[in-house]
Amino acid sequence: MKNSQKPKEHAERKFSYWLFAAAAAHVLVLFLAMYLQILDLGRHAQPKIVSVSLISLPGSAGSHQFSEKPGGAEAVSAASPSTPSPSKKTVAVEKAASDVAPVEPKKPKKAVKVKKTVPEVKPVTPKKVSVEPVVSKTKPKVIEKQPDISQALERLKQTVDKKTATSQPTSASSLNDALAQLQKKVKIEGDQAGTGRGGVRGSSSGGRGGSGNGYGSGGTSAPYKAEIASIIMHNWEFSKLLLKNSYGMEVYVRINVLPNGTINQIIFDKKAPSEYLNNSVKKALEKSSPLPVLPKEEGTKDVWIGFVFTPEGIEK
Amino acid sequence: MLDSKLGIFGLLSDAGPVVLFVLFVLLSFSIVSWAIIAFKFGYVRKSLNESKAFLDYFFEIYNVDKAFAESENYRKGSLPRVFRSGYIEYRALGDKADIRQLKVRIARAVKREANAESKRLSSLVPFLATVGNTAPFIGLFGTVWGIMTSFHNIGATQSASLAAVAPGISEALVATAAGLAAAIPAVMAYNYFTHQISIIERDLEEFSSDFVAAFINEP
Repeated sequence: MKNSQKPKEHAERKFSYWLFAAAAAHVLVLFLAMYLQILDLGRHAQPKIVSVSLISLPGSAGSHQFSEKPGGAEAVSAASPSTPSPSKKTVAVEKAASDVAPVEPKKPKKAVKVKKTVPEVKPVTPKKVSVEPVVSKTKPKVIEKQPDISQALERLKQTVDKKTATSQPTSASSLNDALAQLQKKVKIEGDQAGTGRGGVRGSSSGGRGGSGNGYGSGGTSAPYKAEIASIIMHNWEFSKLLLKNSYGMEVYVRINVLPNGTINQIIFDKKAPSEYLNNSVKKALEKSSPLPVLPKEEGTKDVWIGFVFTPEGIEK
Repeated sequence: MLDSKLGIFGLLSDAGPVVLFVLFVLLSFSIVSWAIIAFKFGYVRKSLNESKAFLDYFFEIYNVDKAFAESENYRKGSLPRVFRSGYIEYRALGDKADIRQLKVRIARAVKREANAESKRLSSLVPFLATVGNTAPFIGLFGTVWGIMTSFHNIGATQSASLAAVAPGISEALVATAAGLAAAIPAVMAYNYFTHQISIIERDLEEFSSDFVAAFINEP
């Protein structure tokens, strides 16, 4: 009896050993698989998923008074927190201001885009409603595209700084005067550089901000645009992989935003051939409503904001 | 660490409790299966080799005493074991004059040991068959459950985009993959072992009568 138990115990011990070995082997295989995956991810870059370009349509935004809105000529792009790259979703929000049109001399048909990440866009504080921010915010755009204009603007900025330092404008009239002077000088500089008026149209989203015409009651500030662009981006569910041919696909959309942030109307100025893209854009906009309440400086009227959705990123 | 960037493992971190339980069961099945495979592979192979070596020796000398002495060197072989049990029975019988009774008793002892050896050989092997048969279904259950949950989430989010559908289905399919990964080696090992064991059993059946005859014809 004792002899028959012995081999049995031996077999059980051996089986326990193999059980332990199998468990260890499984753990090892799992870790190896995980390690290989990490290695593989490190080797290959993240695949490009979707690139979104959101820009305002020229002239669609409302009366953004240049003299009152310091951000009228600025161009801000809201993108993912990192620097824009083709592998990430990018949003560019542009604001057009007809007053600064001559600033664009050499590219009359193309929009000038200055990219900034969303966190970098700082809201304009009431104190900064002065001449300085106008110049300082337009400066990066000029540096990127037109070095000669940037120098001119730099000089202008210095002169305005001097003036503001000496006179300390306290009233809105003096501010308006300073801005008007600046506006004139910018125009002159732009003309000297041989610029055409049309070059600016697409570069900013303020539309006919200076003249007061437009769909809405006022142009929207860049931080607000960046904010809503990021919201729309977040709600946009779209995969480029579902498009057989993504070349030339772009959707031009205008939205009418009420002061309380509700999207009142969505107008497709240009639809893409793909209904999937069109629907995804529509759903994203519908899902994003209500947007954040319009900033106080926008007034109490509704505004029109335009976007261009493309799966290829910012190419235009 | 297990974020979405880590492929399958990232998916598992978002898996539901049922899918995780299914995966745990399949992992346990796989571990036990591999333990059985490793254990049985050595056991069966040794048994086959030692049986073959002992048979060669046995037919060479055809002397039960010498064969018994040699069988001590083949303690893990099935045929040497059966032979030893017959020899012990043969030596235990005091009166060897009654040939008929001697034959019956030795044959009974040999058969008993052959049965015991057959049981020893085939122990744990049915578990491989169980894993091979059930693991894909268990995995499929996990997949079905995962897809159910996925569709439920799609309904809740009211979005049927690829981004909403694909991760859930991908996560669910991991269970089927795990089921197949557990089942395939188990089925292969089961077929191999049943074939090897059937060879040993056939040998036991065939040579049992030779062993009995050798004891009876012993001078």
